[in-house]
Amino acid sequence: MNSKTESNFKVMTGNAAAAIGATLSRPDVVAAYPITPQTEIIEQLSKFHANGELDAEMITVEGENSAMNAVMAASLAGGRVFTATSSWGLVFMYDAVLAAAGARAPVVMVNVNRETPGIIAVSSGQQDMISTRDSGWIFLIAENCQEIIDTVITAYRLAEDYDIQVPVMVHYDGFYLSYLSEVVDVPTQENVDKFLSVLNDQPARTILTPGEQTGCGSHGILDGYVELRYKHCMAMERAKDKIDQIDKEFSNIFERSYGGQVEGYRLDDADVVLVGSGSMCGTIKTVIDDRRKKGLKVGLLKIRMYRPFPSEKLIKHLKGKKAIGVVDRSLAFGFKGGPMYTELKAFSEELEGSELISFIDGIANTDITKKNINKMIDMTCDLAEGKDVPEVTWVSYGPQQGGE
Amino acid sequence: MTEPKKKRLTKVLDHLQHEDPFSKGVAFCPGCTLELLIRFIPQVLGNDLVITGTPSCSAPVLLGQNTATWHKLSYFGTLMTGAAANATGLVRYYNRKKIDNTVVCFNGDGTASDIGFGNLSGAAERNEKFIYICYDNEGYMNTGIQKSATTPFGASTTTTQVGSKLRGKNLRRTNLALQMAMHKIPYAATATLSDLDDLAKKLKKAKEMKNRGFCFLHVFAPCPTGWGLAPNMTIEACRRAVKTNYFPLWEAEDGQIAFTKTTKKPKPVSTYTELIKKFSHLTEKEQEILQSDIDYEYCLLQGLSNIVGTCQLPD
Repeated sequence: MNSKTESNFKVMTGNAAAAIGATLSRPDVVAAYPITPQTEIIEQLSKFHANGELDAEMITVEGENSAMNAVMAASLAGGRVFTATSSWGLVFMYDAVLAAAGARAPVVMVNVNRETPGIIAVSSGQQDMISTRDSGWIFLIAENCQEIIDTVITAYRLAEDYDIQVPVMVHYDGFYLSYLSEVVDVPTQENVDKFLSVLNDQPARTILTPGEQTGCGSHGILDGYVELRYKHCMAMERAKDKIDQIDKEFSNIFERSYGGQVEGYRLDDADVVLVGSGSMCGTIKTVIDDRRKKGLKVGLLKIRMYRPFPSEKLIKHLKGKKAIGVVDRSLAFGFKGGPMYTELKAFSEELEGSELISFIDGIANTDITKKNINKMIDMTCDLAEGKDVPEVTWVSYGPQQGGE
Repeated sequence: MTEPKKKRLTKVLDHLQHEDPFSKGVAFCPGCTLELLIRFIPQVLGNDLVITGTPSCSAPVLLGQNTATWHKLSYFGTLMTGAAANATGLVRYYNRKKIDNTVVCFNGDGTASDIGFGNLSGAAERNEKFIYICYDNEGYMNTGIQKSATTPFGASTTTTQVGSKLRGKNLRRTNLALQMAMHKIPYAATATLSDLDDLAKKLKKAKEMKNRGFCFLHVFAPCPTGWGLAPNMTIEACRRAVKTNYFPLWEAEDGQIAFTKTTKKPKPVSTYTELIKKFSHLTEKEQEILQSDIDYEYCLLQGLSNIVGTCQLPD
């Protein structure tokens, strides 16, 4: 029987997709605390809980810090857990975010990207993700509502995999995706159960049990500390191949796939490439189609897994390209270029002569328009032709807005 | 002549039905009441507890180092910001899976009354089914004696120093146990190490009552090192704290506040403070201010205990 026939198409927001993805994954414990633009997720989960569709312990905590602490502990006790946050909330729970990673608690959390404290902004941007990138979590970034629901389900396979046991944060752009309604092919419960059932065949992970002299949160001292950190880093490395493999298995059941760590769009024969992540990639693909019609060999490399950084995949796909423009929806204060650009620069040598430039755009809900993307492609082409191009361009901001 | 004394001791020992799960020698200071308390709890409640606790004096012993611990209990090393939320996550999962559990969230006053008060309050409001025990040594003893919300008026700490312009803590202490009782939880109580029978009964009551919701125990725990108190005088300090009403013993069962020990003629607080170096600079006038704060708290408690039976906490 073709499982596809059991699917059902529904129109829903990105937040609703996240809530349904979490519900389909059958969590034991969910912690809920509201923050714009994440709130709809916990409202939906509360509705499912009230209706009996979500059979989980629902903890209506008094702040995000407690949300992460509660789900981390429930996870270490053996439960499947879920929570969601955004920006200010992510910052407020940051000590617990680090603790969850250090304890290797397989927590799954959605972070709906929003600008961070510093300047109050109720608007989109990946600064919250960038500010927490070295937390030891696996970061996955979704492009659209379908990818949100699928990535949340996939995240459990990755986090709870016996070889990984690292918490996973699923990111998507606030406002652009949180409130955008799209058609989503909602996976059936049967298929999700089948997809996640692989986890039941694994060795049991160590859990905290009363009366069994089990513990966690010890002081890591000297070699003991170093050992845990080393093993954590190795688990992060293993997560790269693991997500590629899980993506294939996902495709076998659900008949759609995302490429694992990265997705290439019209990439193989491209001369110039844009590197991006999240919702901007939809617009970039549209512009690429337009430019291809006019004969320009341009492609996109979409970063889906941001932590661990998919270095090998990036090198493999970008090596030998004439020029690469990296689009960041966030800032790396103290570096001129954007964060992802700065990280890619570390592989300049392996890219075998591919030139890189940095574009900063889309922060605080300044739209990354088709016009802006065309400008980025033009500048990347100029770079490919050896013209003098600035290393960093704030695409929506320049002398016309007051300049420096 | 020795008979009555022996009888009293037996009464306390009757409560100790379980093994002391701690190693004989542990890294606490001589005379530490925290050590006595943490050894006492599992002997009364059983060794199947899950103890959760924060970085603090209790941490090296409670939370272990690398893969070794100094005890045989299950434990969870928490953050100071989220201790009660960690305990929440554990009990919610255990109860969902019908795993028999007694989770004891064991923290100092820094966590309970300062940085972790928000999540303590949140867990109480949600009536989570675990026991929260605050061992109150009136400040951050582990980091080197800094003031907290429960540090009393006048006390000298490294952040409320005695100098030419300032003379110790120029603020009153908060009453953490009363604050928690006002959360309408099934059980809140105070206790200390000079009254072990009282402490054991309250621990047992908390273990029973936690099946209905949040239980809070505020245990007065003098710190010889941080307070300038002779190690052999810590229990005497507990005793005098009770007798001066500096730390009265009471409980609130289903919202009904009642003293579990009363002193007919309470001694002036100076008979307690004279044992302790952190109060040694207090003038008569400053002693009076401290006394008036003690009197106020006691008067308030008396008032609340007087209304017992006139109003009921709904089920």
